[in-house]
This record gives sequence, C-alpha cells and structure tokens, in this order.
Amino acid sequence: MTVETFRVPPVSLLLVAGAAGLLVGSLRSSVFAELTVQGLALGAVYGSLALALVLVYRATRVVNFAQGELAMATTYVAWQLIQWGLSYWETFFATLAIAFVLGVVLEVVLVRPVQHRSVIAAVIVTVGLFILIDGVVNWIWGAGLKFMPSPFGTKVYHVGGVSIARLYPGMLGVVLVSVLLVWALFRFTKLGLGMRAAAFRPAESALVGVRVDWMLAIGWGLAAMLGAIAGLMTEPSQFVLQPTLMQPILVYAFAAAVLGGLESPAGAVVGGLAIGVSLTLVVQYVHPITSDLQTPVAFAVLVGVLLLKPSGLFGRPEVRRV
Amino acid sequence: MRRRLSTLASLLAVAGVLAALPFIISDYNVSLAAQVGVFFVAILGLNILTGYSGQISIGHGAFMAIGGYTTAVMSRDHHTNLVVTMLMAFAICFVIGLIVGLPALRLSGVYLALATFALAVSVPQLPLKWSKFLGGSGGVQSAQTVSHLWLYGAAWTASSILFALAWLILRGRVGRAFRAIRDSEIAAVASGIELPVYKTLAFGISAAYAGVAGSLFVLATNGFAQPSEFGVFLSLQLLVGAAVAGLGSLWGILAGAAFVGLLPSVSSSVPVIGSAHGRDVVFGAAVVLVMLLLPDGFAGLLARLRRLARA
Amino acid sequence: MAVNRKRLGPLLLALAATAAVAGTAAASQTSTPGVTKHKIVIGGTFPLSEGPSTGGASLYKTIAFAEQAYYAWVNKTKGGVFGRKIDDIVLDDQYTPSETVQQTTKLVEQNHIFADVGSLGTAPNLSTWGYLNKHKVPQVLLATGDAYWGNCVHHVCQGTTKPWTMGWQPDYPGEAKLYAKYILKHKSGAKIGVLYQNDAYGKNYFNGLKTGLGSHKGQIVDAESYNVGDSAQVIGAHVFALKAHGADTFVIFATPGASIAALATLPAIGWSPLTLLNNVSANRIFMGIAAQNGAKLNGVISTTYVASQTVQANLKGMKLAKKIIHKYAPTGVGTLDKQFASGDQNLVYGLAVGWTFVDGLRHAGKKPTRAGLMHALRHMTEKNNPFLYPGMVVKTSKKRTFPMEQLIFIKWSGGPTGDWHHFGKVFNSGH
Repeated sequence: MTVETFRVPPVSLLLVAGAAGLLVGSLRSSVFAELTVQGLALGAVYGSLALALVLVYRATRVVNFAQGELAMATTYVAWQLIQWGLSYWETFFATLAIAFVLGVVLEVVLVRPVQHRSVIAAVIVTVGLFILIDGVVNWIWGAGLKFMPSPFGTKVYHVGGVSIARLYPGMLGVVLVSVLLVWALFRFTKLGLGMRAAAFRPAESALVGVRVDWMLAIGWGLAAMLGAIAGLMTEPSQFVLQPTLMQPILVYAFAAAVLGGLESPAGAVVGGLAIGVSLTLVVQYVHPITSDLQTPVAFAVLVGVLLLKPSGLFGRPEVRRV
Repeated sequence: MRRRLSTLASLLAVAGVLAALPFIISDYNVSLAAQVGVFFVAILGLNILTGYSGQISIGHGAFMAIGGYTTAVMSRDHHTNLVVTMLMAFAICFVIGLIVGLPALRLSGVYLALATFALAVSVPQLPLKWSKFLGGSGGVQSAQTVSHLWLYGAAWTASSILFALAWLILRGRVGRAFRAIRDSEIAAVASGIELPVYKTLAFGISAAYAGVAGSLFVLATNGFAQPSEFGVFLSLQLLVGAAVAGLGSLWGILAGAAFVGLLPSVSSSVPVIGSAHGRDVVFGAAVVLVMLLLPDGFAGLLARLRRLARA
Repeated sequence: MAVNRKRLGPLLLALAATAAVAGTAAASQTSTPGVTKHKIVIGGTFPLSEGPSTGGASLYKTIAFAEQAYYAWVNKTKGGVFGRKIDDIVLDDQYTPSETVQQTTKLVEQNHIFADVGSLGTAPNLSTWGYLNKHKVPQVLLATGDAYWGNCVHHVCQGTTKPWTMGWQPDYPGEAKLYAKYILKHKSGAKIGVLYQNDAYGKNYFNGLKTGLGSHKGQIVDAESYNVGDSAQVIGAHVFALKAHGADTFVIFATPGASIAALATLPAIGWSPLTLLNNVSANRIFMGIAAQNGAKLNGVISTTYVASQTVQANLKGMKLAKKIIHKYAPTGVGTLDKQFASGDQNLVYGLAVGWTFVDGLRHAGKKPTRAGLMHALRHMTEKNNPFLYPGMVVKTSKKRTFPMEQLIFIKWSGGPTGDWHHFGKVFNSGH
C-alpha cells in the first residue's frame, strides 16, 4: 500500500501568493472585497461540481456530462419536498440521501454496462442522460421559474463600507464543510480507503477483498451528493429555479476540474475557487473582458491547461500502457 | 464478385428511393427528409474522425456554424450562388479543421472531448461579439431562400458526392493509416505512419464535411444563420448520430442521420408526454437505450445480423 | 445487404404507381387552408419550456393558455364563429428563433393553419415574417411590441413590405418615450443607467428612450446590454457597472429572467435608484419572485394597458376573466385559478388578444379568407374589449397600423405582497 508523500509543489506557493493578494486587495477596496467574497462563493459551487466530476472520473474513468443536470434534478426534488412542507434543513439532508441513491442506481444501470467498451459509448450515454434528465424535469415540474427559499435569507451585512450578502459566506461554508467531510471519509475511514484502492488499483484491491463494484457505485453516489449540494447552493444565487440552473455552472466546473487535474479532488476544489474569484475580479478590473466573455475565458483556461499541462496543476502525468 | 453486385444493387435501391421520395410524400415531409440529408453529410464527416481515426469531437457544431455563416454572409453581401458558397464552406472549414487538428494532436480521449466541447460552446458566441459583420443575436439572413425540394436535392446530391469521396479516401492509403491509428497509435508510429499528418487530415476532412452540412442547415432554416441554431445541442446531436451509426456501413450512417434528424421532430408528437417535453424525454431515452444495447451502433448490429444470416 | 435485381424493377414501378395515386389525392384540397365547415385551425409559437436561450421567457406561456381558454369559451357558449369552432395549436419554440422557424413551418405546412395568431417574441417573429409574408399567411396580434410590426406594412423592411404582419400591444418605442418624459418631468437632472437586451427587442426600447429624451440624451451615463440566457451573475455585473457610473435612475428593458435578477441584485449592492421597468416585465408574478429574493419593490414605475384582476377585480371584464380561466383552462395545464388570483397579467392579456381575434374573425364574414381576415383586422374599431384598461381602444385603419397606442402609469406599493397602482391619466403613446 503506497503512502502518499507530502511535498510542497510550486503550485501551492502560487496559491498562497494569490490568497495574500486577495486579502490585501480586500483591505484596500470595498468593491474588491465584495467581489472577492462573491467570487469565492461562486467558486465554491464550481468546485463542488468539479469535485463530483473528479470523483466519478477517478472511480469509473467516465466524464459525466450529465453531472450538472443531475444536480439540477435533485434541486427540483428539494423544491418539491419544501412544497410538501418539510423545513429547509430537513429537505437538505433528505435530498442528499435521494441524490446518493440516484447516483448509485445510475452507475449500476447505465455506466457499468458500457464502461469498458469504449470512451465514446460512455460519453454518449452521459450525453443521452443529460437530454433525458432535462426532459423529465421539464415534464414533471413544468418549465416556469420557481422560487426556493434560501436557507440564508436575503440579509445583507454592512461591514465597514462593504456590503456582503449573508448568502455568500453561507455558500462557501456549506461547500467547504462538505468537502472536508468527503476528505475525512477518504482519509480516515476504511470505506474511503477501499474506494481509493478500487479507483487506483482495481485488480489488486479485488484480490485483497475490496468489493470494487460497490466502491465504484458509492463513488457515483457521493458525486451525486456533491452535485446536489452544488445545486442547492447555486439556486439562491440565481434567484430562480429553472431547468437551465446548472448549465453555465457545468462549464466552469469542467474548467475547474481540468485546471486542478481530473484525478485530483483537492485540485478540483482549489481550481473552482480560483476560477470563481479570478473571473469575478477580471470582469470588473480588466476592461476589454466584459461579463459575457466569462464563459469563453473559462474555456480558454481549460484548453490552455489541456495543451500545456493536461494533468492539471495538482495532477500526476498519466502514463499510458501499450 | 457477388458482394460487389449486391453492394451496387443496394446503392441503386437507395438512389431510386431517394429519387422517388419527393413525389410520394408531402412537402413538409420532404423538408424533414432534407434535414436527414444534412445530418448525413455531417455524420459522414464525423465518422471519419471518430470512427476511423479514433479522435472524439464534441465540437463539430462549431464547424457547421462556420460553414453556415459563410453561406449566409456571402449570400447577403455578394449574392453569391448558393452552391458556390457551399464549396467555399468546404474549403474554409477544411483549413480551419486542419488548424484545430494541430493542438488536438496533444490531446486524446476524454481530454480531446472536453477541448472540443469548449469549441462547441465558444464559437457560437463569436457572432454576438462581432455583431456588425456577423449580425449579433439577430443573425444573418441570406439574400436567397430555397424551396424544400431544392434543399432536398442539394442535400442528397451533396451526400452522394461526399459519400463517394469518403469511399475513395478510406479505401486507399489514407484509410489504412486512419485505421492503424485508431487501433493503436504506438503501433502505427512504429510502422512508419506520420501521426500528425493523418490526424490533422482527419480533422480537416471532417470539418469540411461539417461545413457543407452547416451551409445546408442554414438554408433549411429559411436562410437564417443565428447563434441559437448552433448551440451545444447540435454538436451533441452529431456525436450521437455518429455513435448510433457505428462504423463502416452506409446503412449505419443513414440510420444515424435519420435518428438525430427525425427523432426530435417525431417525438414532439408523442401524445402521452405532451408536445413541449416529449421531445427531450424520448430522444434522451432513445440515446441511452441505443448506446446500452448497441454500443457498436447500427453498423455493429448489421454486422451481427449478417454473421447470423450466414451461419 | 443484398437486393435481388430481379425484384428491383417491379419495386420501382410500384413506387411510381403509388406516387401517381398520392399525387392526385393531394391535389384535392380546400382553397382556404385551415377553414372547414365546422372548424378554423389557427396556431402560434410560444416559449413553453426553458432552453439555453430562453432567459425566463417561459413565464409568458400563460398568455397562450389564456388564449386557448378564451377560444374554448367562445366555442362552448357561442358555438364558435359562424358555427366554426376555433382550434388553436400552440407549439413550443423556447423563445429561440431557429426553433420558431421549424415550428412555424410545421404549423403552416403540416397543420395547415389559417393564421399565425399571437406568437410571442420579437426575434422569433422576425425570423419567420419573411416566410409567412411570402406564403401570404396572416401573422397577427403578435405578443411583442416591436415597432417593425406597424412600420413595415407600407414601407420596405429587410427587402420587402410585410403587409401580412400585424402587432397588437402598444409598441415599445412609444412606451420608452413615455418613460423618458416621466424622468424629465419628475427627476430633471437625473443620471440615467439603462439595462437592455442585446437584440432587436431591447434596441427598440433603447432607441425609443433616446428619442424621447431628445436633447437630454446625454443624461444617459451608461447603457449595459445583456444576452438572453445570461446568468444572474452576468446581469448582476452589468447592474453593478451602472451603479459604478454614478447613475441614480435605472431603466430596465428586459425579459423576466434578467429583470428579476436586476431587481434582486439592487439591495445586495446597496443601490436604490428610481427604477423604471418595461411593462412586459412588470407582471405581478415576476415581481413576487424578485421580492422573495430581496428586491425592494416600492416606488418602481411601469405602465399598463390591460385591466388588473387584483386591483380592479370588480370590473365586469375581470369577473368574466376569472370565470373563463376557471372553467376553460386548457387540459393538461391544471388549474390556473391560483395563478390568476396572484395577479398574472398574462392571463388577462391572452384573453384580450383572443377577444380581438374573434372580433376580427367575425368581421371577416361567413366565408373567411386570409385576405379577408387581414382586411378586417386592419379596419377595426374595437371599444368594448372588456379585458383592456377601461376606456382604451384597439383601432386600425389604412394610416393607423399600430392597433393600440394608449398607456397608463403604474407604481408599486405595499412591499413584497403589494401590487401595482395606477396613477395619472391615460397617455397617448402613439406616433
């Protein structure tokens, strides 16, 4: 069993420098501070969805194009539960449970059969799922815009000239707590160890008694839960719940996952935060880049990383076996 | 010898049906049949890239956009003959495809899929930025519009010509190189095939085909080229069509083109689910089912049936 | 796949024979499409669901439902028009012009509609008006206020005149000019920031505003355009930019998704400008959603031309409206009563449009033709539409190509559960 050695890659230094820059900027300008908080909150959501993508990729080598739509669907389930009278936090945890089950079911029914056949087949199954989920949600809940109460309310704090909606630290907090819990799961529990082994060395793990199939399914379930959190945290920031809720987020999540490295959970989260903050600040301070250029810029980052360092900032270069 | 004859016979049968079809079906259905032809061209090209040279692209909608806008702009500004604009689209997209193919050399599998996805999302945004020339969100309207019959004829004539061209390319050295690359890049290099040349060539050819399809697509939409026509969904449709088609069969590509060309319009008439949402539910479910049951696409199914028939 | 050559010949012969038979069958068709002895088939395109470039416009689908309810009421209580029941086919285009083309082609060539009635959206209708005018299909009572629909009847636009196209609601430039006048009168020296949709719809309003301001055009300190489907973050960034330019008056020319986001962003960035909102975004339902997201609605200004089912519930027309929506909501949609009671003005709008269409259809006579319908609609004086704001008329003539040219101002009060209240007199928004 390999023990992961703890190195300090140059990337970490870059991140520390970036964080320091954000702090200094926020102290000097209230606008900078407001945008930084907002950017971090959004980035947390991108990171959460990116983490879901990475978990799925590590477990089953599939990029799940439907991850965003799945997150959207579970957010609608949450809306329905609230309509039926549950309180917000009851709904929150019930939705996570439902998302978990959904993720497991999808892995077993849809992904397992095609996983080993070809990359294309698996990609297309997730594409079909994307379209199917979109249609089903539209069918069940109609297409109109819906409102879901935010757990953080609409309160806005005014701290020394800086207006911070309570929503943003709330989003950031919930996502960070969930990511920490997932990290703890992987690091400290036997289940987590089994999952890591099953993803890294499936054949050998099976030999020592790890139920590899189960581990992969649980991976999908966990990813679905993270997606549900992303959806539930995103909705208040979009003001309305509509079927296209996660479609822009998916784009940034891909960029974040690639930036951090498709194999690196930590990279996905850090990548998300980085993209969230950078885009928000760049749009404000770099004038040729207007807000409708955010998506192309995110994609430029994605393509750039793919071309220069495909394994991402935190990933290890992939070795292909002949 | 007998196989040659039966292939020829099946080609003639297809040609015969195509020629007779406009006289049998209603004008509206002719427009649907024309749409199938448009997808046939695009999927044919994508098949060369994905099936024969093993590179995934979820971005060919971008090339369709380039081809479509070429036709619309040239027609609007210079009243160029529409067929000439299609040839221009072919040439322009071939070059751009080669250019895109170069960085694509460094990527493979999932990474290439993601990068081409980026292309699919970004290219349709460009007209919004250069709205003076490219019409912004309102789009570009060509000077001439065509009848359904004209479009049908153009689409299927282009399909026939491009099918013959593809056949010629694939049966020769280029085709062999493609297949070798798909099966194992490392082995291909070991046997002396210059990867960069053939891989970029595959991108160029498939992009050129998509460009022509894009021209036809714009003409099918009353001559309007708009960003909303070339969204991500279109690229997804193309990829799905290529996957459903499978490899190496004319019938497969016809099936793939019919699948993505007709199923969305047909499924919106599904009564139970209702017109607004039926389309996505039925189409999405069909895509998932087809990939689960026929991972090698329609061509794979045909191959299996042939083997059964001979046994 | 082997095909027996011997069988190929007879196969082709059979195909040819079928073609001949089918051809003769197809030739015998009624001369006016969509009109039979007992039925008139019309159709329209609406955003019934959300796609990537719908931007919240699916909230307008209740217009289509109300129209269908109205025709159902006419069919049931009056036996239709001259004994012909009206069948209104509504197809989903997701406010996406390329989809509109496909669905409209289907309506005309497969469903053989008599007329395209009430279709929604400026950009969507601009993508089909060439086709519809070419095939001489009436494209009338469109749910959009673009000035094109009135300006291009006798003048050439995009290559040809469009005599078969007609609007209904008061046009956008006229509305925007009234907002300009309001600002100049009530807040002289205002620093104006404008958020508008980056297409023909938004530009129509924005140009109207600039015309209305005249020499005071320079008071516009910044104008931000957004694309339909932009996320709330992007819209928020635009609003932030307007604040950053020092604007103290905020004019919104948007569709629901963006207007809700714009209103909800204001408190979060600590900006409380005088806000003017285009009437198409002023639906009480949209305002409710904005308020739940923290928007401060009191004092927001807009205009209207239909009666209010909440503030004017005792009007005969509003009681009739409530009844029709209650009894005749289209099947498959469920009940619209709650929607009606919450003040969804789309429902009243749809009923009003239905009234005008049936009015026009009646004047087209017992043997309606497409040309006859256009003539009736273009020579109409309708003073008794019960769903319009009392006193407002629908009037057309050879010179007057804009059917409605009156607006009244409304201002929101009462907080998140408040409502729009009329003030001032009825203004002429016309030409």
